[in-house]
Amino acid sequence: MPLDLDPAIIGQEFDRTVEGPVTAEELVAFARALGETRPEYTEAGPALVAHPTYCVRFRGGRFYPESLYKLIDVRRGFDAGKDIALGEPIRPGDTIEVRSTLHEVYEKTGRTGSMYFVVIRFTLVNQRGDVVAVVDNRFMHR
Amino acid sequence: MAAPLRFDDVQEGDELAVRSLFLSKDQVRAYARAGGQWSPRFTDDEGARREGLPGMITPGNMSMGLLASFLEAWAGPGTLRRLGTTFRGLVLPDRTIRLCAAVTQKEETTRSIELDVWLESDEGERWVLGTATLALG
Repeated sequence: MPLDLDPAIIGQEFDRTVEGPVTAEELVAFARALGETRPEYTEAGPALVAHPTYCVRFRGGRFYPESLYKLIDVRRGFDAGKDIALGEPIRPGDTIEVRSTLHEVYEKTGRTGSMYFVVIRFTLVNQRGDVVAVVDNRFMHR
Repeated sequence: MAAPLRFDDVQEGDELAVRSLFLSKDQVRAYARAGGQWSPRFTDDEGARREGLPGMITPGNMSMGLLASFLEAWAGPGTLRRLGTTFRGLVLPDRTIRLCAAVTQKEETTRSIELDVWLESDEGERWVLGTATLALG
């Protein structure tokens, strides 16, 4: 385990926050900003669903567990990448519960020294209990 | 509207037609606003330089979004099941980028396909790398 981190916190949920409700206007603006013109993503109405990467917009109430703030300078981190696994589509009116867990912490050594990678997993669940996405956010810290 | 892509129409090794697009600063700002990422690093050259960056940059989330749209423009809306990306380099706006993908595997039982995907500069430098899974009919 890199850092002086209690391994027991890996996999533990550290935040649960409800966001939304999602509006049609937000979904359309997001899709159009990506250059989308397809009606499924850009025309308000019963068929409107969120663009598949709309799920990365949710961040929960706290981005890192409290204990991590004491070990790393979160302001000096870089977004190293994301993995999204999609479930049910997000629709206008949905409220989304963001369940945050510290999924993984690992260290890599490169030419410029050690880097720590912190993976925060957001499990996004709608008001019907359906998983709409699982988003792994990978951040790099020196 | 084109019919959704069928599983039987795809072969391992197929390469998607590259999509080149000019990524303007205004488009990046529009994404930053719609994506809840309104921050100087994504909206303002001077503000980004104060953070040690060469100028405003494109959010990694936007790169993912452009790749997702590129894949679904080929296969049809709702086909993307998974997208994983690594942000390797700064994607600077006001230049042409290229969106690329190739089919690496077909999975008969789930009628899904795996792809390598990437976003590169006009000179071929790969700034975002990833893999994706699409479910086809």
